[in-house]
Amino acid sequence: MTLLEVKNIKKIYSTRFGGNKVQALTNVSFSVEQGEYIAIMGESGSGKTTLLNILASLDKPTSGEVVLSGKSIMTISEQQISAFRRDNLGFVFQDFNLLDNFSIEDNIYLPLVLAGKNYDDMKQRLQPIVQQLGICDILNKFPYEVSGGQKQRTAVARALITKPQLVLADEPTGALDSHASDGLLRLFDEINAAGQTILLVTHSVKAASHAQRVLFLRDGEVFHQIYKASQTQEQMYQKISDTLTVIATGGEHHG
Amino acid sequence: MGKSGFYPKLAVSNIRKNSRFYLPYLLTCVATVAMFYIMSFIASNPGLQDMQGAGTISAMMGFGTVVIGIFATIILFYTNSFLIKRRKKELGLYNILGMGKRHIAKVLFFETVYVTVISLAGGLLGGILFSKLVFMLLLRLVDFKVTLGFNISLQAIQMTLVLFCAIFLLILLFNLFQIKLSKPIELLYGGNHGEREPKTKWPLVVIGILTLGGGYFLALYIKSPIAAIGMFFIAVILVIIGTYCLFTAGSIAWLKMLRRNKKYYYQPRHFSAVSGMLYRMKQNAAGLASICILCTMVLVMVSTSVCMYIGVEDALNLIYPRNVQIYLYECQDQAYQQMSTIVKEEVAKSGLDAYDMVSFQYYQEEDDWNRSLFIGNKMAEALTGEIPGDNGQDYPPNAYLGFNLPGSDGAPSQLLDAIRTRLTTELAGQYDTYESETRSLMAGNIYSAYGGFLFLGMFLGLLFLLATVLIIYYKQISEGYDDKQRFEIMKKVGMSRAETKATVRSQILTVFFLPLIVAVIHIAFAFKIITKLLAVLSLTDISLFISCTGVTILVFAIIYCLVYMFTAKVYYRIVS
Ligand SMILES: Nc1ncnc2c1ncn2[C@@H]1O[C@H](COP(=O)(O)OP(=O)(O)OP(=O)(O)O)[C@@H](O)[C@H]1O
Ligand SMILES: [Mg+2]
Repeated sequence: MTLLEVKNIKKIYSTRFGGNKVQALTNVSFSVEQGEYIAIMGESGSGKTTLLNILASLDKPTSGEVVLSGKSIMTISEQQISAFRRDNLGFVFQDFNLLDNFSIEDNIYLPLVLAGKNYDDMKQRLQPIVQQLGICDILNKFPYEVSGGQKQRTAVARALITKPQLVLADEPTGALDSHASDGLLRLFDEINAAGQTILLVTHSVKAASHAQRVLFLRDGEVFHQIYKASQTQEQMYQKISDTLTVIATGGEHHG
Repeated sequence: MGKSGFYPKLAVSNIRKNSRFYLPYLLTCVATVAMFYIMSFIASNPGLQDMQGAGTISAMMGFGTVVIGIFATIILFYTNSFLIKRRKKELGLYNILGMGKRHIAKVLFFETVYVTVISLAGGLLGGILFSKLVFMLLLRLVDFKVTLGFNISLQAIQMTLVLFCAIFLLILLFNLFQIKLSKPIELLYGGNHGEREPKTKWPLVVIGILTLGGGYFLALYIKSPIAAIGMFFIAVILVIIGTYCLFTAGSIAWLKMLRRNKKYYYQPRHFSAVSGMLYRMKQNAAGLASICILCTMVLVMVSTSVCMYIGVEDALNLIYPRNVQIYLYECQDQAYQQMSTIVKEEVAKSGLDAYDMVSFQYYQEEDDWNRSLFIGNKMAEALTGEIPGDNGQDYPPNAYLGFNLPGSDGAPSQLLDAIRTRLTTELAGQYDTYESETRSLMAGNIYSAYGGFLFLGMFLGLLFLLATVLIIYYKQISEGYDDKQRFEIMKKVGMSRAETKATVRSQILTVFFLPLIVAVIHIAFAFKIITKLLAVLSLTDISLFISCTGVTILVFAIIYCLVYMFTAKVYYRIVS
């Protein structure tokens, strides 16, 4: 079943005075199946964050359509968009984006509190997630008291606790060392195995090699795709590196 | 461009770039310089010496000058500390990009020079322009016509220059010291490094409750007005300590209690507000307490001085029920009888139409601290033939005689002289002391004292209001920058614009109006003791005081709301 459909997305940033126009995305189309794990790669400035922001309904495309579970997110009104985001999407960011003034536990509760859930419900949902993520012991600490890896796992817990249809992650391993990155990627594998759909933006070949499919963005378009299918992670890793080399040396489109 | 021009230019561009912080700072500097100049101009004006009650007025203005001087120092240091905290990041960046601390010091030096020049030039210019106007206002208030001594006071200019150059020099040294002490990394993160969660300090909470309670108790249960004077200051100090303790420790204890109540805490509206306030209180409690104290001071000062000024007429009538009043202390009955006859004869001789002549005997009671007020209060009783205060003393009562004369200029001195000569010679040995007074003579003194007080109240009130507005503005703006990131995260996690706006509103409202509300509570408790103090000054019209206080609070609240709206707008612009 198709969960997310991206149709001919185009995004032009225009500066305040209308002078310079930057075309961040020219024409992006792809779709994501339920339970899929997709990575998006591309050079800096190729429009990855822009794309993710549009999928996250944090930004509007200049033209094109994004359909989540058969519903076009452009048709959702301004008043309902936050609720929609809260209920359907989970986010993990490069710099964690935890709130300093909340304990780890409260940071995880944040989207549920905003959704008006009651405390007992929230507590019930919390238990299995923090056990899986291995952050039971730090629930009462504050973000400045825990390590980067723990912060990122907290962010993942916060993304998962609303049981979102889609988890969006923008370079989640960007600020972690290789050990913590491996832990996080293993975690993503696990939650994906449990049926969670994940869309991951990354510069890291290693991170991308965990995904079932890798999309390459260039010049604001989907330039190439690689499916993992039955390949091993090492083979996938090799294939991604090769593709990146081709892109970097200005190879031809062979999508 | 020579290298010598580099630092001055960088300094100018720094001031421009940070205009959101620098502009209010410069305005404050200019305003305080101008106010200080005006006050010392008035205090040093020789025209003042010709006034009736000049001694009181110039003492008051001298006091005002000192208060403004001290206050200017505090305000400028306070605003500067906001500025330097904000700018640590920028300075750290210079440092990391290879500018030595010596060079940073140079840039800071030039910035300070510019600020000093602008504030002194602007402030003195404004001060000179407005000083004449303000002085005329003062003269009007004290009801006295006097020719201005001069238009520009060199002495005042000199004092202003010395004081403010010293302040700016101290500020520069303080800033340099800050830079010297810090490491580049700290400079870079100076703006915002991981704030720890505040701890609840129970001892402070207890001290706060005790001192505040003690202060309130003193204010409510003071009996005699004389004791009120001494107690008032003790009560004020207790309340100030209590306010600081409760704002700092009490607020945090209270918020933590709210947070422990899970049902309350985990609601969309309370969740971010409570934890946001917890951090906000940690950084700002002292500032809020200061605002609260300032508000209270402004309100008390302005309302009492307005009340005194309006009530002075009634007070005079109370103290001086008659235009001319004559006392013979410990006067024997026979002499009391003759006193009226002698006075009547002398008045008749002078050809003036005296009317409403009354005379009576009375005993001054021990704790009647104010003779005049006593006369005013006891006159009705005395006129029935009773002798007020009589409880079998073994010495004779005092004799009082008062009458009015047409016109308001009081009695001609020949008349008073004649009366005194006759009374002292003819009744010699039958009384203890002779005393006479005329209302018009005393009225001049009182008008000028109360007028001077009102002037001082308004002037200092304005200064304190300026300080309040400034503290609030800086608080909100610098918090805006801290909160920006927080609200961005909230938005990503699913907080809508409307919710963001509501949260912002409730937080700013609390921060803004908590001090004002507490100030009003302070005043409510202080009300009784202030009426007692006013009674010492012969002001007994409580309803007048109530309306003065009410109107002052109202006007203040309106100004406060305007500042709130402006600040909230800037804040919201920063956050979203
Ligand atoms: N708010 C904006 N206004 C104008 N131009 C923008 C804005 N955000 C991004 N751009 C431009 O759009 C293009 C794509 O930016 P985007 O942030 O999506 O790249 P990215 O692939 O995420 O890069 P990176 O890997 O470095 O994060 C860039 O040229 C960028 O300069
Ligand atoms: Mg990006």
